[in-house]
Amino acid sequence: MPPVETPVEKWAGKIHEVNLGGDARRLVVGGETTLPFLHFEGAIPHPPAVAVEVQDRPPASWAPELRASWGEAMEDPASWAKKAVEYGADLIVLYLSSAHPDDQNTGPQEAKKTVTRVLSTVDAPLIILGPGIAEKDNEVLVAAAEAAAGRRVALGFCEQKNYRTIIAACMANNHVAVAKTPVEINLAKQLNILICDMGLAPDSILMDPTTGALGYGLEYTYSVMERLRLAGLQGDKMAAMPMFCTVGEEAWRQKEARATEGIPAAWGDIATRALRWEELTAMTLLLAGADVVVLRHPQVVQRIKATIQKLMTKE
Amino acid sequence: MIVIGECIHIVSKQVKTAIENKDKRFIQELALRQAEKGANYLDLNIGPQRRGGPEVMTWMVDTVQEVTDTSLSLDTTNREAMEAGLARCKVRPLVNSTDATPERLAAMMPLAAKYNANIIALTLAGSGLPSSADARVQLALEAIVPAALENGVNMADIFLDPLVLTINGNQDQVQPTIEAMRFFKLMSDPPPLTTCGLSNISSGAPPHLRPLLHRVFLPMMRGAGLDSAICDPLDDELMAVRRILETRDASTAKGRLYLSIYDSYAAGQTADISSVDTSDPELRDIVKTIEVLENKWIYAHSYLQT
Repeated sequence: MPPVETPVEKWAGKIHEVNLGGDARRLVVGGETTLPFLHFEGAIPHPPAVAVEVQDRPPASWAPELRASWGEAMEDPASWAKKAVEYGADLIVLYLSSAHPDDQNTGPQEAKKTVTRVLSTVDAPLIILGPGIAEKDNEVLVAAAEAAAGRRVALGFCEQKNYRTIIAACMANNHVAVAKTPVEINLAKQLNILICDMGLAPDSILMDPTTGALGYGLEYTYSVMERLRLAGLQGDKMAAMPMFCTVGEEAWRQKEARATEGIPAAWGDIATRALRWEELTAMTLLLAGADVVVLRHPQVVQRIKATIQKLMTKE
Repeated sequence: MIVIGECIHIVSKQVKTAIENKDKRFIQELALRQAEKGANYLDLNIGPQRRGGPEVMTWMVDTVQEVTDTSLSLDTTNREAMEAGLARCKVRPLVNSTDATPERLAAMMPLAAKYNANIIALTLAGSGLPSSADARVQLALEAIVPAALENGVNMADIFLDPLVLTINGNQDQVQPTIEAMRFFKLMSDPPPLTTCGLSNISSGAPPHLRPLLHRVFLPMMRGAGLDSAICDPLDDELMAVRRILETRDASTAKGRLYLSIYDSYAAGQTADISSVDTSDPELRDIVKTIEVLENKWIYAHSYLQT
């Protein structure tokens, strides 16, 4: 066979580099000048980061495989985070789930306490997410932002209908915002513009294009991420934010990751299947340009970390 | 370019009220203003009008014909209303519209033949929005052309409409729509006429952006073969672009840019913006809009800022 010359694209743009964490442990995501893992074409200065999802109270609805894998650590977010770091987490996503009005409806005081405890237990950078109700998000995230001053955490979710208070808290405490849009490219860019209009720097934003799990809209998420990444590399600074994907949450929500009865025998063993569902969703989105994937199962964390390491090795 | 004035539209609250109150003066004034600004057709959109459709359309046609002899474009999905209106028109009217579904073609094509009217045919079938230039051309060839032949309507009397989708959410559909326009003009000899709902492109965009999107989209579509547009004749800037293209007025930098967009698209290319002086904010905004329409720059409501 005649030798084939590898086509090399020259990109004008660069993905913003976002710094997270405090003096003890810093993490940078983004900074790419090429598509995922194409080392021959441009720079990928930082490997994609693997985050582990920790909730501020034990999540009763999680699948038995997940609960068994974390055991008693789930009783306390600080112990859970510590164990996650031991499994290789580059950073921790701390969900303030208990603040949801339908949950324990906890408030800013509890949020502050939880964040302080987690931060004093682990050095790993933190991404703090509210319960997803605008009013409560604003309340607990402002408290969390203050408690985490000096540790440069990320706060989310900023959405088109609710971002101003969270952005103000980011600006006041030098934190990063997570901007979430519903698998919609035009809105993703627009929200970045709106946030920057408020005065937050473009290198203080992670964008969440909304993850669809394998079999549940993964291809839509993939196309939107691909298009955003191409635009960012072509020089569109308002599309050049590192991307953040809540993989574990979406993958473990699906029937394939949960069902043990009434399904074809060919689906096989639940544990194997559920872990693969999360792993393949994560891998696909890493290939679409994800800079942070949030996972749930410790074994999947280890598998994804190992794969990333291989893909980051330059020949 | 044939301008089909879009201002008499049931979606406008004032128009709706005027129809309900049989307020002739309001409708007549709106008709005259559009005609004075150069509309070749006045679109009379009365909506589906399930009850009393024929009466409403007859009243509209009579009301407008009292003050102007501009051609009328009758815009309703109600077949009885359409026929009642067509029967009253003194000047050759336009049926707006049929699509490519058998039911609509069977309802509207015979009316165009019977009343010797022109007709707008959308390349849209029941199976969802068209996704490519090919899909649009296929609908024209396989559904619209046979229905026209069957009813004795000349291809040269049909306005094919590729169905313009909103840029917000369908940015990758802009170029296929333009591409469809090119194919339409090659479909038959003599070729069909072409039209489009120009304002569709900006639906949902912030009000200050909409006229700019229309002004830049127009020379692209014209270059590709657009003969006519359903648009707002009261938009002076849009009518200025129409005039610039028709008189090839290159006396201003803006005029030269619009002409160059037109020429590039007429040559089957995309716009050449390499030599535009973007230190002029007006030209810069036009260039940004070209890039957005060509899907080279992601559309966002604030794209002019980026």
